Amino acid sequence: MVLLLFNAFNGLIQGAFYALMALGLALILGLNATINFAHGAFMALAAYFAFTIFPYTGFWGALIIAPLLAAGVGFVVETTMVRRLYTRKDPIYTLLLTFGLALILQDMIRTIWGAQGQPLAIPAMLNHPLSNTYFFVTGYRLFVVGVALVSTGALFAVLRFSRIGIRIRAGNSDLETIAALGVNIYLLRTINFMIGILFAGVAGILAAGQLGLNPNMGDSLIMPAFVAIVVGGVGSLLGSLLGGLIIGLASGIVTTFAPAASEVVIYVIMGVMLVVRPRGLLGQEGLFE
Amino acid sequence: MNDQSNDMPNLGITDHLGRRDLIKVGAGVGLTALMAAPMPSWAASEKPIKIGMVDPITSIFAALGHSEIKGAKFAEEEINKKGGIMGRPLQLLVEDGAGNPGTTVTKAQRLVTRDKVDFLMGTVNSASSLALSQYAARQNKLFLCTGGHVDSVTGASCSWNTFRTCSTTWMLTSGDFETLFKKFGKKWYFITTDYAFGESEQADYTKQLKAAGGTVVGGALAPVGTTDFSSYLIDVKAKKPDVLCLLLAGDDQVNCMKQIAQFGIDKKIAVGGALMELELLQALPEAARYGWWTMEWYWNQPKTPHVAEFVSAYKAKYKGQYPSARSWFGYASVHAIKLAVEKAKSTDTIKVVRAMEGLVLPPEIALQPGAPEYRAADHQLILSMFPGHAIPTGKYPNLFDVSAIVPGSQLALPASATGCKMKYPA
Repeated sequence: MVLLLFNAFNGLIQGAFYALMALGLALILGLNATINFAHGAFMALAAYFAFTIFPYTGFWGALIIAPLLAAGVGFVVETTMVRRLYTRKDPIYTLLLTFGLALILQDMIRTIWGAQGQPLAIPAMLNHPLSNTYFFVTGYRLFVVGVALVSTGALFAVLRFSRIGIRIRAGNSDLETIAALGVNIYLLRTINFMIGILFAGVAGILAAGQLGLNPNMGDSLIMPAFVAIVVGGVGSLLGSLLGGLIIGLASGIVTTFAPAASEVVIYVIMGVMLVVRPRGLLGQEGLFE
Repeated sequence: MNDQSNDMPNLGITDHLGRRDLIKVGAGVGLTALMAAPMPSWAASEKPIKIGMVDPITSIFAALGHSEIKGAKFAEEEINKKGGIMGRPLQLLVEDGAGNPGTTVTKAQRLVTRDKVDFLMGTVNSASSLALSQYAARQNKLFLCTGGHVDSVTGASCSWNTFRTCSTTWMLTSGDFETLFKKFGKKWYFITTDYAFGESEQADYTKQLKAAGGTVVGGALAPVGTTDFSSYLIDVKAKKPDVLCLLLAGDDQVNCMKQIAQFGIDKKIAVGGALMELELLQALPEAARYGWWTMEWYWNQPKTPHVAEFVSAYKAKYKGQYPSARSWFGYASVHAIKLAVEKAKSTDTIKVVRAMEGLVLPPEIALQPGAPEYRAADHQLILSMFPGHAIPTGKYPNLFDVSAIVPGSQLALPASATGCKMKYPA
């Protein structure tokens, strides 16, 4: 019973991390109408940026600067490539573009930084368990949850109270109308894409602190993020947050009884969700239905 | 990895330049390409001897694959500088197997049918090794496995055409079992990668553990690419083992070791396992570099002749990088094929196979004490093992402390016990 509680709690921590990854993906999926398969590659790229500037800025500086650098790359990618495909209704074009981009970015990382992993150290104050009993609540994991909460809160505040945020939300529900009202939707979409990549960057650096830093790190992280979106509901940021927590919790609980099934269970949940309620928990009606 | 990156003139220039200019540019580019090519010292009529190498250039096994390829290319250059093999140049053709058995076989197919290679070598993960071994047997080609460790490659699934340079999982596990057992205790917990390699390692450790009177208190199979090990670690903590034995591969091992350090488990429970690689230690930050492991080759062997020369030449070629065990696998494998061809005085598959059976690597190739030999009965190279422990505060390349170099003959199962029944084609 104690073990079950441990695992459930542990699952929630993991879920917060999934949610952080899913948020950036959900933002881009919303306003840019792009299923960004290169999201994982952007995570890795930001983490490598962090690794490179680490000697000059330290961990905390890198955590702020590296995602901005990645967002800069995102700016170039959006304005030169993704933008050209907005007029094509079929999502297959952006899917293929970002899929190819993911492979190119990954190989670029391999060429620049080498195929072997790199050691990204985290501050010593975060690198130990906080309690002997609840040893899985390590300083670092608590920090990850904290960052997830703060950045999610900041994102929701921006979307709710700032002019640009209100426009992003308006664009999500009716792009044509706000274009007719004189909003520069190209600029709006570029900014939105960059915010999405910024989130990918933060998630990537946090992941590299906990896992290894290697060119393939995005591959294994991006799937739970996609699942979180599908479960939570396409088009709803709150849904993505919820989706991340649910799959984290589910995989934690299942681990207690069958550790080998802990990865499978999140796909089972996604499958069941797609059959029973294709639009996800909080998804907009009509999408996928 | 593509060596044929000749600069093509941009076709767009025809808009601005005349035909003559284009020809000039073309001729210039052609000439530069000629000048840049190394001048072959043999007659143009000499057909090269071709080795096809399939190794992961992408995927989670890429770091290890890259090292093997670097070692093999180093050997290719060395051999060609000294006049090739029986006066013929050696050509190494490399393809990306991506650590996937299907891709590995497809790429090998291409090397055999399109490039007409004489021999096949390579593979990092065991599943690819087994698949390529079977394919090569059907094609009547010699296959020298560089880096897939599962026992069965030279055990139950051994094949007349397949040899192996890296060790078996049995040799890996027996390399440091005694140390772990005597130093740390009887109760073991395994976290094992969920494919042939890990399962083979766990079976080998379990057998030795039971024979020594120890117990397995728990174990978990982690799928390849697992990112979050926290749930496994919660179970480890609950079962209170003396030794936490990690049998993971590649990046998974790095992920797990970092999380163990963050959970503080390495401070309370002895952590160790079979295979450790220089590439992995390089990827670990100081706080996560710990434990008792076995290396299959290590660059720092002050007492072994020829090693220092090899290391400094390798470093000069690869911008300060040190050779890892994987580099040595690639290096030794190419040289082993050369020696076998010279012994057989032929590139005919069965003749080279017969020549490689019992082939002893000379000291300048072996780069370790003793005389490692490709055992005739099961085609396994009986190489030494380098058990020891990671140096937490070390700086690259000083990341591992070798406690002893154990001769392979003390560790390997006798050929009669491996389950290998060699059948040759009629």
